[in-house]
Amino acid sequence: MTVRRDLVGAVLAVSILAVAPPLVGSSYLVGVLTVAVIYGLWAASWDFMSGLTGRENFGFALFIGAGAYTAGFLDTLAHLSPWWGLAAGMAAAALFSLLLGFPTLRLKGPYFALAMLSASAIMQRLMLIFWETTGGEEGLYGIAPLFSSPLAYYYFVLAATVASVAFLVMLARSPWGLILRAIRGDEATCLAAGIDVTFYKMVSLIISAAFGGLGGALYAHYQLQVSPQLFSVVTTITVIIMVYVGGMGSIYGALGGALLLTLLTELLRDFGQWRLLVYSLTLILILFFLPGGLVAPLWRRLRGGGGR
Amino acid sequence: MSALLRADGLGKRFGGLRAVKQVSFELAAGEITGILGPNGAGKTTLFNLLTGFMAPDEGRVEFAGKVLTGLAPQRVVNLGLARTFQLCRPFVGMSVLENVMVGCLCPRVRADGGGAARAMELLRMVGLERKAQTPAQLLPYGDQRRLEIARALATRPRLLLLDEPFAGLGKAEIDPLSDLIRRLHAQEGLTLLIIEHKLREFMKLVTRVIAMDFGEVIAEGDPEGIVQDPRVIRAYIGGTEDAHGAA
Repeated sequence: MTVRRDLVGAVLAVSILAVAPPLVGSSYLVGVLTVAVIYGLWAASWDFMSGLTGRENFGFALFIGAGAYTAGFLDTLAHLSPWWGLAAGMAAAALFSLLLGFPTLRLKGPYFALAMLSASAIMQRLMLIFWETTGGEEGLYGIAPLFSSPLAYYYFVLAATVASVAFLVMLARSPWGLILRAIRGDEATCLAAGIDVTFYKMVSLIISAAFGGLGGALYAHYQLQVSPQLFSVVTTITVIIMVYVGGMGSIYGALGGALLLTLLTELLRDFGQWRLLVYSLTLILILFFLPGGLVAPLWRRLRGGGGR
Repeated sequence: MSALLRADGLGKRFGGLRAVKQVSFELAAGEITGILGPNGAGKTTLFNLLTGFMAPDEGRVEFAGKVLTGLAPQRVVNLGLARTFQLCRPFVGMSVLENVMVGCLCPRVRADGGGAARAMELLRMVGLERKAQTPAQLLPYGDQRRLEIARALATRPRLLLLDEPFAGLGKAEIDPLSDLIRRLHAQEGLTLLIIEHKLREFMKLVTRVIAMDFGEVIAEGDPEGIVQDPRVIRAYIGGTEDAHGAA
């Protein structure tokens, strides 16, 4: 019953996203929505690991950057078909998550969050230190587009994101998701229930990283340029705020939060110099009055019934 | 008689404190054994050593012919040795049913399938079936104990270790829980090892008692014998000959 309503809701939301650009007929909106949907993919990926297991990843930008730079290098240096960049971006981000998760995920306390934060900061510095290959502050540019028409690319990004988020939602509602939520509840009890906690955290981080990397590669082929800023903690924090506004642990809420906040930023352009202030105030109000987030709790209410 | 569990010379140090020293004992399949001892006698540490939550400094543990020493806790559970915690630790934010389902997902039983249905069956066994959808952290304390037991049973153990199952429970909750433990023993053929303080309930439940004090086994025997044992009386009451006479 609730599953059917969820499906109806998802079809409605995706239809609105699909018909809005041709109806409005503005190329500006196509650009804004492309970025919004990519942020949605990042937020959903972050939520899959950190929202479900409660292990906040403050270095998620590392996976975004790894995906984007890998796609960029493949295109500008190796001159392979740009489509390879998407798969390679996913693989590179997954590899980084394996290298970082293996030593840090077995630790208790804030070590995972701190190690990830440091790793992303180090990557940002490395991009500057090895400027001869990475392009330094300017990064890589002249990346080939995947489609000549921005609208076609938007539809491609939308389709990739919808498929990824649907996969993550299904996984989150499967026994896998149940185990990840149990890890959030109590690790020792998980061990007493015979669950290999480190293994599940590790695999969920790899999945989260892979989709973050896919988003990074999609972003590279949209901007046609990548810069070290992608690795910055600001990128991670932006994604985390989107998840909080969407409602943690629901995955689809994160996508909604990303769309909401990206559109809000654009709507606030009229405020000029006051924009950041109004934006921050709105955020504080949302999080203060709705600590559980906005999108997912609202949808649960509209839909009725139990579940997530 | 082949032992289901064999502890041999177990020892654990915390700094200068020897919490468990030279503990050896055997459990036969089908027994209900109790571990008796005052606070700080090393009972919970012993449980942690047996279940892999702590690694012993010395000695070894054998279970059903396999050496457990050095195995991670989830590996021990998957060999058929489950435990409950003294302080209930349900998965916060999940329903009672979901709590038990997590136990049904461990490799030992996952292949058997039937996740939710089997979890529901276990809730019926411990008498929580009507609270299946309640958030676990909202259960009263006595029900949380039952939930702990159901979650442990979900891993289909051969040996179940209960850490002070009666602690913090009122008279009205103790008898039904004793009955539940007896039923698990009789119907499910479960072997049990129980840590307890509440002497009266405990002595009615167990067939054999291992008494501990200062990290050592000080006496072993049937419940009637053990309460007469001067070393046990000394550990509990602290007297010498007078206490012996008074008992």
